[in-house]
Amino acid sequence: MIDQTGLILGIVLAVVFLAYIFWPENVFAAQRQKTRLEYLEERREQLYENLRDLNFEFKAGKYPDEDFAAQRAQLEEEAARLLAEIDILRNRA
Amino acid sequence: MATFGAISLLVALILAAYNLVVGGFALFAIERKWQLGIPPARLADTARRAGITTFFGVSAAMFAIYWLIFKDDFSVYYVLQHSNRALGFWYKLASLWAGQEGSLMLWAWLLAFYGFILRITHKADVKLHAYAGVILAAVQVFFLILITFVSHPFLPTPGIEPGQVIADGNGLNPLLQYWEMVIHPPMLYLGYVGFTIPFAFALGALMMRYPGEKWIKITRVWTLVTWIFLTVGIFLGMHWAYAVLGWGGYWGWDPVENASVMPWLAATAFFHSVMIQEKRGMLKSWNVWLIFTTFILSIIGTLLTRGGLVSSVHAFAQSAIGYWFAVFLGIVLLTCIVTYFLQHNHLRTDHHFESMVSRESSFLFNNLILLAASITILIGTLYPVISEAVVKQKVTLAGPYYKIVELPIGLALLFLTGVGPLLAWRSTSLKSIRRNFIAPLIAYWVTAIALIIWGMRPLNDLSDCFAWVDFSLAAAVIVAIISEFYRGANVIHKQSGKDIFSSAYELTARNTRRYGGYIAHLGIVLVFIGFAGTAFNKNIEQELNVGDKLELAPYTLVVTGATQDSNDNYDSEFVLLDVMKDGKKVFDITPEKRLYRASGEPQTMPSIHSTALWDLYVVFEGVNPDTGQPIIKAFLNPLVSWVWIGFLVVILGTGLALIPSRKPQAAAVRSAQ
Repeated sequence: MIDQTGLILGIVLAVVFLAYIFWPENVFAAQRQKTRLEYLEERREQLYENLRDLNFEFKAGKYPDEDFAAQRAQLEEEAARLLAEIDILRNRA
Repeated sequence: MATFGAISLLVALILAAYNLVVGGFALFAIERKWQLGIPPARLADTARRAGITTFFGVSAAMFAIYWLIFKDDFSVYYVLQHSNRALGFWYKLASLWAGQEGSLMLWAWLLAFYGFILRITHKADVKLHAYAGVILAAVQVFFLILITFVSHPFLPTPGIEPGQVIADGNGLNPLLQYWEMVIHPPMLYLGYVGFTIPFAFALGALMMRYPGEKWIKITRVWTLVTWIFLTVGIFLGMHWAYAVLGWGGYWGWDPVENASVMPWLAATAFFHSVMIQEKRGMLKSWNVWLIFTTFILSIIGTLLTRGGLVSSVHAFAQSAIGYWFAVFLGIVLLTCIVTYFLQHNHLRTDHHFESMVSRESSFLFNNLILLAASITILIGTLYPVISEAVVKQKVTLAGPYYKIVELPIGLALLFLTGVGPLLAWRSTSLKSIRRNFIAPLIAYWVTAIALIIWGMRPLNDLSDCFAWVDFSLAAAVIVAIISEFYRGANVIHKQSGKDIFSSAYELTARNTRRYGGYIAHLGIVLVFIGFAGTAFNKNIEQELNVGDKLELAPYTLVVTGATQDSNDNYDSEFVLLDVMKDGKKVFDITPEKRLYRASGEPQTMPSIHSTALWDLYVVFEGVNPDTGQPIIKAFLNPLVSWVWIGFLVVILGTGLALIPSRKPQAAAVRSAQ
């Protein structure tokens, strides 16, 4: 049992969809691969956040002085390496 | 309207297929830098738009099926089977998911809705969204093929002539005629279906060798929102089972229940372990497989229950679609394995575990335990199938198997809930352990000894032993969580001079993810306290005449009479009982038995009186045909309300974790310097 109104409505719906999909326009978002520099900058933000967390937990009394110093040194070393690579890539750019 | 619905579904299928094929081709052309007559990026955008319109196509079909349901058009077989004229608005709404075809349609619509959101937010990362959109389209194509060609909701009622009016439909399954059933299935489906999005992002990120962890940040909201929906769905399902099924419990290890909890456990493991990837860039392969596993478990759950592989008390809609799901599962699994095999070198990490006593390790143990829980539940659920294949006899693993296996797993999880936040990243020194664990340890032993003094005998009975450890661990974890809040709030209190409660609020606002997570942990502890209460459940069944008494300490139930009621949908019989305590009436309770007119099916409606300590749960089981006396079954279930409150706290905490944190300017500047 095919009802004609339903059929017409369905066809209208399909036409509207096709118009939306293929409507000619020049503005569309282009695809782009993320660069190593962008990745390193994201990582830097994360390292800063890790440092902030560590500082806060130390102030809250969760870690003894020596644990805090060791952890902070590790994070700072990692951040230094990262910042050096960011500098190199920025200079190249 | 049925024709319009059928055409809408077909159009949606074609559009999803376009998104998959043309979108996939465009991505390939972009990777290979092909020059085509039409720019590949433009082609990819048409595919994205096709994905957007898929949502409107499925929505049009949803409109059509609801039009037919609300117009009582029984010439459509699905409407005839699952609705009737006397059904109220909300139950007519619920009749969509009362059957196989409608359930799948709801699934497809939710998937299309999620896809719509994903595709309109593509500017967050155009390429990643394009990959995720194509993978999502593949899943949409599967579901739309299923409802267009295999399990079609718009089929006409057999033997009906055009214009012929059918007196009434068969009605909605009485078990579904409860307010929570209007919300529970959509919530559960929002959860199941929602895991497709993190799956699509994870697979897409792996396919395109996405550098870094930003895809996790993008999918984090999706994962958490989906997890909240699944949690709400599970919670409502448990509450419905408790309030409607009349067996006095809320979790029966039924395959449908198991199907919902398996992906929940895997997803819980995922959003814990992604923190390690975000913080330290570790466990990349593990996380990718966790999200693959979560999605695969959602499909396995559907295959098990809907496909009729295992029987369930509330798999309302079984059919032969199991084969389709098996094929789909095979394709998904193969795609995951091949993609991982080709791209796994992209997931290498520079960091490694430095100590077994660290926060990373606690997250990893938490993951292993959650996965162990998931796998043991899967084995339990599949056991009838396995035993039939091996020994030609269907053996079902019931409560005792789960009790022995899942209780220790649950306690280990509870233990890690408390331990994890107290450990440091990378490595925790002995001095730090002493500093952070002393208060929870004291809480543990004070509670353990107090419980023994109070009368608990953990060595006499296994259930008592588990309950004893559970209560003691719960106390330790609560103290650990409170101490985390207190110490953090104290820092802000010293810096700003605000009182400790304002400081705790400020603390939570500054790091909603962490402290929202702690609130969710607190909710889990409350749920575990509630679970431990089952060790002390009591019940009694008795035939009672007017004036007869039933003793269930501390209450005495006295039958005072019976009454009847009826409406267009069903007839009810009630037994009236006074509940006495210490010789005085404290409240009354009226268990009900219904007979639904359209289906002729009976349904018991328990009457429940809840307090913080226990629930009095009374069922009118029917009348003994020999004596004519009503049979009453009463349960005293301790701490059930703790389970419901715990779930609400979990949902609140997780919702809080979704709110962006307020960053103190000074701290950001200090760290950047």
